[in-house]
Amino acid sequence: MSGLKKSFYIKARDFNRAGEASINVQNFLKSMNFDPGLIRRIAICGYEGEMNAVMHGGDGALSIEIDSDKLVLEISDDGYGIEDIELAMQAGFSTAADEHREMGFGAGMGLPNMKKNSDQITVQSEKGKGTQVQMIFFLNQGGEIV
Amino acid sequence: MSAKQNSACFVRFDEDLCTGCASCLRVCPTKAIRIKKKKSIRIVNRCIGCGECIRACPAGAVRAATSDLEALEKDHVAVALVSPVLYAQFPGVMPKDILHGLRQMDFQHTIDMSYFLEMFQFASEEFIKRNRETHNAPWPLISPVCPVVVRLIAFQFPSLMAHVLPVLRPVALMAREVKRRIIPFYMETGEKVALYYINPCPTKMDLTCLEPGEQPTIPEIALGINDIYPELAGHVRRIRESDAIPFYQTRFEYETCATGNASMWAMSGGEIVDMDIDKSLAVSGLEETIAYLQKIEMGLFQDIEYIEFRTCREGCLGGVLNVVDKYLAKSAVQKMIKMFGLGRHLPRENILRLYEKGDFQTEKRPSRLLNLFGEQKEGLSIESMQKIEKILDVLEGRDCAACGAPDCRTFAEDIVRGNASMKDCLWVRAHGKKKSKAPSTG
Repeated sequence: MSGLKKSFYIKARDFNRAGEASINVQNFLKSMNFDPGLIRRIAICGYEGEMNAVMHGGDGALSIEIDSDKLVLEISDDGYGIEDIELAMQAGFSTAADEHREMGFGAGMGLPNMKKNSDQITVQSEKGKGTQVQMIFFLNQGGEIV
Repeated sequence: MSAKQNSACFVRFDEDLCTGCASCLRVCPTKAIRIKKKKSIRIVNRCIGCGECIRACPAGAVRAATSDLEALEKDHVAVALVSPVLYAQFPGVMPKDILHGLRQMDFQHTIDMSYFLEMFQFASEEFIKRNRETHNAPWPLISPVCPVVVRLIAFQFPSLMAHVLPVLRPVALMAREVKRRIIPFYMETGEKVALYYINPCPTKMDLTCLEPGEQPTIPEIALGINDIYPELAGHVRRIRESDAIPFYQTRFEYETCATGNASMWAMSGGEIVDMDIDKSLAVSGLEETIAYLQKIEMGLFQDIEYIEFRTCREGCLGGVLNVVDKYLAKSAVQKMIKMFGLGRHLPRENILRLYEKGDFQTEKRPSRLLNLFGEQKEGLSIESMQKIEKILDVLEGRDCAACGAPDCRTFAEDIVRGNASMKDCLWVRAHGKKKSKAPSTG
């Protein structure tokens, strides 16, 4: 498989730089002229995932893997993990601290938004060991580059 | 291809003055500039006309591609389209004296923008009000006024094109009005008309409503404020020193109607301050504009209805072709607002009637702009991206720009596209390709 993989570092609790990893991914995809709508979906997913990692995770990484038929976006962190994944997937459920809410984050829409904007999502988490969110975006046959 | 001309014609480089310092390379937001063979500079077809290179050049080698006064077509009736930013260049002078000065410079008509700015505001408010129910366009809507912002979106954030408010820009309304009323007026006598845009930046002209390849039906010429300032300042001084009350009969109602509301537009926030919108923001400066567009692309600010972007700091006052320092100009505007007050003068009902008729709707433009850049930006394949990553492993990654490209990644892209060669890199030439590289931290 001739996949192309690129990984970007996410620093925990660094709200000033939060979003940079997903901007890097966007720029990367833009130079390949992916469909703007697809880039937008990936941008939203990347940002939500990155914010989750910044708020709840330890340090983490945002990576993108590009194949001829699909794109895989993965966000992994070494944070305290998710206790109940099903609950976390519900809109409005949030474990964000007050300080996060004061900054306008923590509305409990992160994972639901990621689910809405990706074609397939898998969340793996073990308490105390971190979380991996993997999202798949299928490319139109032959039309991946618009 | 005329699209090519349009997009590449905003700045000119003077190779004799250029020292090859690479300042312009680094500030260009679309990475449009390269330096080849020490001095010769070429623009990859990506210029959006922000003017940052003009600002950055310490040698004065970059200029706006506006015309100079000699471009005045003597056998045409000259109509000046005046941006309110011009008034801010004359602190303490009344706009009517400035317009009078322009008329002494052989502009037969001086069109003040106030009228069209108000029209735009009414039409925009109406669109936003209706959009609350119809949700035809996504929030936040983005102001179409700054043409650099629209081009930046078309080039770098095409997914946000749907956010650009689909209302004709004030400049377009102004040019259309001239075409509807002034040109037919002179047609009767067989005289030809030429339009002159008096601009604070290289891009305020509105040629964007033309189809690719379509030529304007009348001469449309862009003049920088700095091009006309010395002569205009002389006329304005004489007008103010003279005791006689200047008498000038204007033919069209919008030739001298400068208002406080219009002067406000020169400043960042001037567009939205008097608009009836619940949640709006004004963002100015190129870096901030890009940062906000990135955030909008990532799904933020959906609770905001309208964002006014200006790529120049402090708004159009910060335009690169202005003469007076932007903070002095700002203070002049503030004084004018004190004097004139805000508030609009056009009857809302009349504008709404026009709105119902679709008089403010944009057509063609967004898709045309997308095509303009879409054609030129050829996407890189997975294989090319892999090659780029391999090249980047070899390069030092200091973005020194000595190769003539703004940074290592762009340089690697140029190599893969066949526009540069590995030996253009000084580091590679000095140390060879086989340097083992420490693991990347980025």
